[in-house]
Amino acid sequence: MAAVRSVRKAVLNRLAIAGALVAMLVFLGPIYWIASTAFKPKELAVTVPPTLIFTPEITPMIRLFTKRVQIQGETDPAAYAAAPWWEKRIYDGGERVLKVGDAVQLSQYPNRFENSLIVAIISTVLAVSMGTVTAYGFSRFRIAGEADLLFFILSTRMLPPVVVAIPMFLMYRVVGLNDSHIGLIILYVAFNLSFSVWLMKGFMDEIPKEYEEAALVDGYTRMQSFFKIVLPEAATGIAATAVFCFITAWNEYAFALIMTNRRAQTAPPFIPSQIGSGLPDWTTIAAGTFLFLLPVAIFTFALRKHLLRGVTFGAIRK
Amino acid sequence: MTSLDPRSRAATRGWSDLTIRNLFVIPTLLFLIVFNIFPLIYSLGYSFTDYAANRSVPWSFIGLKNYRDLLSDEHIWSNFVITAKYVIVSVSGQMVVGFGLALLLNRSFPLKGLVTTLLLLPMMLSAAVVGLFWQLLYSPSWGPINYLFGLGDFAWLSDPDAALYAVAITDIWMWSPFVMLLSLAGLSAVPKHLYEAAAIDRAGAWYTFTRITLPLVAPLLLIALIFRTMEAFKTFDIAYTMTTQPTAELIAIRLYKQAFQQWDTGKSCALAYIVLIMVLAITNIYVKYLNRVKER
Amino acid sequence: MLKKSLLGMLAGASVALVSGAAMAADELTIFWAEWDPANYLQELVNEYTAQTGVKVTVQTTPWPDFQTKAFTEFNAHGDAYDMVVGDSQWLGAGSTQGHYVELTDFFKQHKLNDVMAPATIKYYAEYPGGSGKYWAIPLEGDAIGWAYRKDWFEDPKEKEAFKAKYGYDLAVPTTYAQLRDIAEFFYRPDQKRYGIAIYTDNSYDAMAMGVESAIFSYGGELGDYATYQVEGITNSKQAADGLAMYKELYKYTPPGWGKTFFVEDNQAITGGLAAMSMNFFAFFPPLVNKATNPNAEGTGFFANPAGPGGQRFAALGGQGISVVSYSKNQEASMKFLEWFIKDETQKKWAALGGYTCSQAVLKSAEFQNATPYNKAFYDTMFMVKDFWATPEYAEVLDQLNQNIYPFVVGGKGTAQEALDATAKDWTATFTKYGRY
Repeated sequence: MAAVRSVRKAVLNRLAIAGALVAMLVFLGPIYWIASTAFKPKELAVTVPPTLIFTPEITPMIRLFTKRVQIQGETDPAAYAAAPWWEKRIYDGGERVLKVGDAVQLSQYPNRFENSLIVAIISTVLAVSMGTVTAYGFSRFRIAGEADLLFFILSTRMLPPVVVAIPMFLMYRVVGLNDSHIGLIILYVAFNLSFSVWLMKGFMDEIPKEYEEAALVDGYTRMQSFFKIVLPEAATGIAATAVFCFITAWNEYAFALIMTNRRAQTAPPFIPSQIGSGLPDWTTIAAGTFLFLLPVAIFTFALRKHLLRGVTFGAIRK
Repeated sequence: MTSLDPRSRAATRGWSDLTIRNLFVIPTLLFLIVFNIFPLIYSLGYSFTDYAANRSVPWSFIGLKNYRDLLSDEHIWSNFVITAKYVIVSVSGQMVVGFGLALLLNRSFPLKGLVTTLLLLPMMLSAAVVGLFWQLLYSPSWGPINYLFGLGDFAWLSDPDAALYAVAITDIWMWSPFVMLLSLAGLSAVPKHLYEAAAIDRAGAWYTFTRITLPLVAPLLLIALIFRTMEAFKTFDIAYTMTTQPTAELIAIRLYKQAFQQWDTGKSCALAYIVLIMVLAITNIYVKYLNRVKER
Repeated sequence: MLKKSLLGMLAGASVALVSGAAMAADELTIFWAEWDPANYLQELVNEYTAQTGVKVTVQTTPWPDFQTKAFTEFNAHGDAYDMVVGDSQWLGAGSTQGHYVELTDFFKQHKLNDVMAPATIKYYAEYPGGSGKYWAIPLEGDAIGWAYRKDWFEDPKEKEAFKAKYGYDLAVPTTYAQLRDIAEFFYRPDQKRYGIAIYTDNSYDAMAMGVESAIFSYGGELGDYATYQVEGITNSKQAADGLAMYKELYKYTPPGWGKTFFVEDNQAITGGLAAMSMNFFAFFPPLVNKATNPNAEGTGFFANPAGPGGQRFAALGGQGISVVSYSKNQEASMKFLEWFIKDETQKKWAALGGYTCSQAVLKSAEFQNATPYNKAFYDTMFMVKDFWATPEYAEVLDQLNQNIYPFVVGGKGTAQEALDATAKDWTATFTKYGRY
C-alpha cells in the first residue's frame, strides 16, 4: 500500500519538476532574450533564430548613458584616433557622442533612474505602512459602515488613470506640485493604498486574535501587541504588499508621462523612446530595461524568505 | 472578522483601543478622500457638460446627452464587447496558470526562493516595454515565436481576429506570477496537520483539493481575482504599444483618444463613469462572494 | 519616527518648490519629439549658449506622446516650455486657441518671406491659409520620399526579366503605375523578398501621410481647406483611385505589415526585405550610414511619383518653431529666434543634419550634394501639400484613420465607400465646430 503511494508520489514529483521547468522556460525565455540582447552587438539583436551564444559587450550600456547622433558623412580620423576606447565603440556604430566643449553629454537615463528610485521607495514605504495600520484597524475593531468603507477604498483604483490625470494635472498646477517628486509620490500612494489595505487585511484576518488576547493577558498594551505580535506574524503580507506596491510605482507610465517634465520625470516613459533615430536600437532599449529591472529584482530577492514563509497557525487551538 | 472588546483590561493602559482605531484608520480615509474624491467629482461634473479642454468657448450643461450619445454609439459598444472578451480570456488565463504554478511550487525543493523570485520577473517589467518586446516576438519577419512554432508568415498582430488574443497571451504571461505569488502565500498557510488528517482518512486527491486546499486559499485567490479584473478593464499600455487594430481597441484606448486626441473632455468623463459603474457592479459581486467565503 | 521623516519630506519639498521657481531666469526650454533632429538642434543651440550664456535645453518626448504632452501643457496654460517645435497641423489649434504668439511683425521685420522657401512659409507658418498671419518659423523641412535598392534595380538579370514582363525598362519609377509594377515584380515571398514598404500605423498620422501622397498625386484633394467643403471633394473619383492604389501597394508588403511607421519602413531596407520603402526624409540618414545599414552602398532615393493625370505631389511633414504664449521668457525666446534665422545659423543647422528651410541654403550645390537624398528632398519641397491644419485636426485625423484602415489593411469594403464614410464623418465634425 505504502509502496504504491510512494511510487505515485515519485511520479507526481517528477511531473511537478517537469512542469516547473516548462514554466521557467515560458516565463523566463523572453526575459533571458531581453537581458541577453542588452549585451549583444547590434547585428545580433534581432536574428531568426535568436542568437543564444555570443561574445558579450557593454557598448549598449555606453549608448544608454550618452547622448548621441548619427554621423553625417565620414568620421574624422584624427578625432577617432584621439578618442577613448568607449567613444571609439560609438564611432564604430555610426554615431558620435554629443559634447559640450569637452564634457560628454549624458543621456537622461541616470537622472530618470534616480527619480524613479526616490519616488518608488518613498511611496512604497508610505503605502505599506499606512495600509498595514489601516488594515489592522479594519480587521480588529468594529467600524461603522466597514464594508462600505472598504468598498470605497477599493473603488479608488477603478478609474482609468487617463481620466483622473486631467483633473489631477490641473489641481497640481494650482498647488504647484506639478513636475515634483512629492506630487508623484502622493499619487502613487493614493493609487497603491487600496491594494495595500485589502491585501494586508486579508493577511491580518488570518492571524488569530487569540495571540493578542494572550499577550494582553500577559500585560502588553494594544500597541505593544501590535508591534511585537501582529506585525511579525504579518511579515509575509507586508513583504508581498511591499513588493507589489514597489513594482506598481516603479513601472507606472501614464501619470509619470503626463505629470512630470524635466525635474521629476521617471524612467518608464524614457526607455522605449530609444527608437528615434529612424532605426530601433534594441540593444540599448534592452540595456535600459535590464538595468531598470535590477532594483526590483534585488528587492524581491531580498524579501524572498518572508514571501514564502506563509502565515502559520500557532499552537493555540480554539 | 475578529474584533476585540474595547473595554478589555489592557485598554486601560497605554492608548485606548478607540484612539488606536481612529489613529490607524482615519488618516488613510482622509487621504483617500482628498486625492480620489476630488478627481471623481470633477470628472462627474464634466461628464454632464460639453466641455472640451482645448477650446476657450464657454461650455454648457447638457445633462445626460453625453451618456445617451455614448450608449447609442455602436463603436463604443463594440469596444465594450472587445474589452469584455479580453478581460475574460486574460483573467481566467492568469488565474489558471498562476494557481497551477503555485500548486507546482508548493513543496520544498532546493533554491525555492531563487526560483520563485525568477518567476516573478515578467511582472516586474514595465508594461510599455513588455508590449514593445512582445511586438518583436510576434513579428513574422524577426520574431522567434513563428520560427519556434513553425507558423511561417502568420501575422499575429496584423490579423484582425488574432490581435486581441495575442495581447491577451502577453498579458497572461505578464501577470500569472502575480496570481502565483498570492496563491503560494495562501497555500503555504494551509496547516500541514489538515493534510495529514485527510491522508489518515484516506481522502482522495480531489477531495483534499476541493474541501481543504481551495476553501483556505479562496480569500487570497479572490483578492487576486478582484484586482486583476479591475486592472484588466483598465488595460492600456500593453495593447496600445502592440497593435492598433480596431478589433483590438480596448475601452481604455478609446478613452485615451477621446481625452487626449479629440480633447472631448466632457464625453470622455462620461465614458469613464460608464466604465466605472460596470467595474463597480462586477467587483461588487466578487466582494459579496468573498465575504461569504470568509464567513464559512 | 514617522513624524520626523514626514517633516523632513515637507521641508525638502518646499526647498524644491522655491528653487524651482528661481531657475527660470536665463534658461530657455524648447520642446520637441525624441528623434535625431532634436539632438542636432541641441548641438546647434549649444552654440547659442556659448555665445550668449543663455542655457537652452531641447526637451524631448517620444513621438507617440508628443502631441499629448504638448497640448496637455497648453490647455493648462502651463509655462514648462518656452518654445515648441510643433507639427504643421498644430498651427490651427495653436493660433486660434491662443497657445502660440503671433509672429507676423517678426516676419515683416526680418523679411522672412524672402529667407525661407515659399512652400515652407505657406504650410509651416501661415494660418489661416492666405491670411498673411504667421505663427511659427520653419525649422525642419520634411516630406514623404522613397528609398530603394539601387543594386537590385541595376542587376542585369532583373532588368532583363522586368523588360520581358512589363515591356519597359526597370528604372526609378516616375508614376504610380510603374511603382506598382515594380512592387509586384519584386514580391517574392518564397525568397523572403517583398516589393514595397509603406506606412500603415493608424495611431497618429503615419498611414494618413502615405495615403495622402497617393491621393494628391492622383489629382484628388482632402477637401477645400478654405470653405471646409468635403462632400464631392474628399470622395471624388480621383481620390478613390489614389486610395485604391495605396491598398494595391499594401498587397506587396512584407507579412505582418499592419502597424508600420518610420522604424519598420527603414528596417525594410536595412533588413533587405523590400525593394522600395516610403519614409519621411528626416529618417533617411541611417540608411546611408554603413554602420547602421548593411545595404547602404546599394540604397538610392527618389521623390514621390506622379499619378495617371501627370500631377505630382508629396505629403508634407516637418515642423516650425513657435513661441508659447504662456511662457515667462518670451523676450528671450524672440532673441533666440533672431539668432536662429541668421544665414550662418541656418548653414550650420544644415551641416549638422537639420533640414533647413532657408532658400539660400537649399539652392546651394553644397547642400544638394551633401547626401544622396538631398536632391530628391529639394525637388520634393516644391511639390508638397499638407493635411488639414484646422484646430480640430486630431478628430479629423482619427476619423480618417478609422475609415480607411479597415480598407487598406483589413481589405473591407471599397475605396469609394471608405472615402464616402470619411466625407460624412468630416461633414458632421465641421458642422459641430460651426465651420459652415
